[in-house]
Amino acid sequence: MSDTFSYLLMAWLDPGLLGLTALGVLAGIYIGAIPGLSVTMAVSILISFTFAWDINNALALMVGIYVGGVYGGSRTAILLNIPGAPSAVTTAFDGYPLAQKGEAGRAIGLSTVMSVIGGLIGVAVLAGTAPHLADLALQFAPRDYFLIAILGLLLVSSLSGKSLARGIFSVALGATIGLVGMDMVTAQPRLTLGSMELLGGIHYVVVMIGLFGVAEAFYQLHNMAKVPVKQKVDKIIPPLNMVLKFLPLSIRTSIIGVVVGALPGTGGDIASLFAYDHAKRTVKNPSTPFGEGAYEGLVAPETANNAAVGGAYVPMLTLGMPGDAVTAVIIGALVIHGLNPGPMLMIETPHIFWFTVGNLALANIFLLVFGLTGIRIFSKIVEVPKAIMIPLILVLCVVGTYSLNSNMMEVYWMLGFGILGYWLKVFGFQMGPIILGVILGPLLDESYRQAMSSVGDRGGDFLLALVANPLSLVLTTVIALVLLGNTPLKGWLVGRFQRN
Amino acid sequence: MFKPLLTGLAVAAGTLALTGNALAEYPERNIQGTIQWGAGGATDNVVRSLTPHVEEILGTTIVLTNRPGGTGVIGMNHVMRQRPDGYNLLFGAENPQLYPLMGLADFTYDDMHAVNIIGQGLVVIATHPDSPFDTFAELLEYANENPGELRMGGTGAGGLPSTIHAMINAVGELDVRTVTFGGDGPGVTALLGEHIDFMPLSLSAVAEQIRGGRLKGLAVLNSEELEELPGVPPITEALPDIESFLPWGPFWGVFVHQDTPDDIKTILEDAYQQAVASDGFQEFLENFGGTTLNLSGDAAQQYLDNWQSVTAWSMYEAEAVETSPEELGIPRP
Repeated sequence: MSDTFSYLLMAWLDPGLLGLTALGVLAGIYIGAIPGLSVTMAVSILISFTFAWDINNALALMVGIYVGGVYGGSRTAILLNIPGAPSAVTTAFDGYPLAQKGEAGRAIGLSTVMSVIGGLIGVAVLAGTAPHLADLALQFAPRDYFLIAILGLLLVSSLSGKSLARGIFSVALGATIGLVGMDMVTAQPRLTLGSMELLGGIHYVVVMIGLFGVAEAFYQLHNMAKVPVKQKVDKIIPPLNMVLKFLPLSIRTSIIGVVVGALPGTGGDIASLFAYDHAKRTVKNPSTPFGEGAYEGLVAPETANNAAVGGAYVPMLTLGMPGDAVTAVIIGALVIHGLNPGPMLMIETPHIFWFTVGNLALANIFLLVFGLTGIRIFSKIVEVPKAIMIPLILVLCVVGTYSLNSNMMEVYWMLGFGILGYWLKVFGFQMGPIILGVILGPLLDESYRQAMSSVGDRGGDFLLALVANPLSLVLTTVIALVLLGNTPLKGWLVGRFQRN
Repeated sequence: MFKPLLTGLAVAAGTLALTGNALAEYPERNIQGTIQWGAGGATDNVVRSLTPHVEEILGTTIVLTNRPGGTGVIGMNHVMRQRPDGYNLLFGAENPQLYPLMGLADFTYDDMHAVNIIGQGLVVIATHPDSPFDTFAELLEYANENPGELRMGGTGAGGLPSTIHAMINAVGELDVRTVTFGGDGPGVTALLGEHIDFMPLSLSAVAEQIRGGRLKGLAVLNSEELEELPGVPPITEALPDIESFLPWGPFWGVFVHQDTPDDIKTILEDAYQQAVASDGFQEFLENFGGTTLNLSGDAAQQYLDNWQSVTAWSMYEAEAVETSPEELGIPRP
C-alpha cells in the first residue's frame, strides 16, 4: 500500500517530473488550440525525442500534452468558432455565442474549471475501476458498436438547429465523405474517382478545418463592418455556486465521457457529442436556450472529452490495448522503452499504473492553473479587427492541415470543403451534423459488416443478435425509446391509447 | 537535439578536408523519413527504435513522418515522387510486394532500392483461453466438420490473416467466416472479448497477451516450436505440406529512390547495417517478437523476390486473387 502511495505521488514530489508535466500541459494547450496540430502527432514526435530519456520523464511529458491538448481545442472553439480538435466541435455551439455576447472570459473560465472536474472524475474512475471497466469494454461486440453508431446518428436532432431536413442531409453528406477510400474488407477503391491520393480516404480533421475554419472565415466577410463586442474580463473564474449548480450535470457527462473513452472503438469526439445531446435532453431550463450561449452546452462536452482521457488509459494500462489514437502511440513508446504493455503490465510494473494515475491528476491541477491565467489576453482575440483576424485564420488553417500528414493534396481538399461549407452556411445548413456523419459513417460501415460476417451474413440472425444479448438489448431499447420520443410516433401512440 | 547536428557538422567538415569530394559530404542536412503505416503500429515501433541509432552513425537528424493509408500506397507513392538525392527514405512493411496482384498500384519494391531489410516478424495463430481448441489441428478438424461456422479475425484483402488463410487453403481446407478489423489492435481486442474464435497475428501483437494468460496460441507459423512460445506447436504438426512456404513472415525495410547516386546508397547501406546490428536495437527486436535479417544489396533483392513469389503463388493457388502471378512476371517458387 505504501508503495502504491509513493508511486502515486512520484510526479508530485520530483521537481523534474513536476516541471515536465507542467511544460507538457502548457505546450498541449497551444497544440490543441491550433486546428490540425494534434496530440497524436505531438506525442509521436516526442517518442524519437525522448528515446534516451528515463521512461517516467517521457511519460510525464506525454501525459501533460495529452491533458492540455484535449482541453486546448475548446479555446479556439469559443473565441473564433473554430474547434481546435474534433472533440471540441460541440463546445463551439454555445461557447462562440457566449463570446459574441462579450462573455468569452467567463466561457473560458467555466470550460477550464469543468474540464478539470471532468478530468479528475476520469482519473478517479481509472484508479478505482480500471480492471472492471476494461472487462466491460471488452463485452462490446461489433453489433454493439453498430448500435452505438445508430444511436449517434440520432443525435442529428440535437445538432441540426432549426431545420431537421437539412440536418439529415448534412449527416448523409458527412457519412459519404467518411466512406471515401479503400474498402477495409476487399481492399478495393471506393468513391476515389481513380485517384491514388484518395485511397487513404479524407481525414476528418481536414473536413473539420475546412468546414469550421475556412468556411467561418469566409462567412465573417459578410459582417466586416460589425464592431466586435467589448469583452467583459472582470468575472473570469466562475463563482462556487455556479460550479455547484452544474455539478450534477458534469458528473453525468463525465461518466458518459469515461465509458465512451474506455471503449477501444470510440473516443473523446464521440463522447462529447453524446454528452452535448444528453445535456440538451435532460436540462429543461438552461441559462439561455441551447445554441445561443447556454452554459450547460459548454459544460457537457468539456467535462466529457476530458473525462475520456482517463477512460482511454483504462484498456491501455490493464490490457495493453489502446483506448484511442493517443494511447496507441503511448503504447508504442512503452515498447520502445523496453516495457511490455499487456495484461502483465499492472502485475509486473504496477508503478507505471499508479504513476500515470497520479500524473494525470497532477496534469489536471496544472490545467486549472494555466487555463485560468492569461484569459484576459485571450479574450481580446475576439476584439481584434476582422481585417487582421481573417487572414490569420486562413494561414493557420493551411498550416494546420499541411502539418497533419505533410500532404499538399489535403490542403486543397480543406480549401474545397471551406468553399462548400461557406455555401452550406449561406443556405442555413449546420456544420455539426456533417462532422457527425464523417465520424460515424466509417464506424457504422465497419461495425455493420463485422456484425454481419460474424453471423455468417444471415440477416435474420443479425437482427436476432441485436436483442438476444443483454448489452445489445439495452442499446436497442435506448434507440427505440429515443426514436419514440423524437418522432410523431409518440404522439400518435399516445393518441391511440387515449381513444381506447 | 543539437548534438547530432553538431557532430554532423564536424563529420562533414572532416570528410570535406580529407577527400574534397562533394558527394562524400552526404548527409549535409536533415533526412526525411516516411513511414507508410500509422503511429503506434508495428512498423512505426520498429522504425522509431532504429532511427536514433542511425542518426548517431550518420550524424544527422532523420525527421519521421507517418503517411498511412491505402495499405501503404500513399506513403510509398510520395517517396517515389521525391528527388533521388538520398534525402527521402521510405520505411515500409511487406505489403508493396503484393500491390499489382491486389490491383492497388502498379509498383512494388522492385521500383525502389532496398537499403536494408531490417527484420521479420513471427506469426502465431491465437485464440481466447475459453476456446475448446488447444491446437490448430483440433480447430481444423472442427472446421472441416462444421464448415463456415467458426469466426476468424482478418485485416482485409492482402492483410496478414488473409495471406495465412490462403496458405492454409493452398495445402488444405479451412472454411470459416472472416470478420474484418482495421488492424491487429482492434482484432486482438475482439478476440479478448470472444467476439471472434481465432486470428492469425504477428507475435509482437500477441506475445504479451499470451504470456499474461489472456489469449492462447494454437500454432506458430514455423517448422519448429519457438523459444519465445514454449508449448505452442508448429503449424506443420497440423499441416505438414505448409512447410514449402516456410520460413515466412511479415517484414520491415528501408528503401530509397532507385536513381539515388551509388555513393549515397553505399553510405546508407553501411549506416543501416551497423545500426540494425547494434546491441540496443537487437535487444529491442528480440523483446518485440521479431527476428533480425539485416540484409542489403543482392541478398535483400533475393529475399524480396522470394517473399513475393511464395506469397503471390500461394494466394493464387488458394483462389484468394484472380490475377495470375505469371501475368505479372512473378516466377513460381
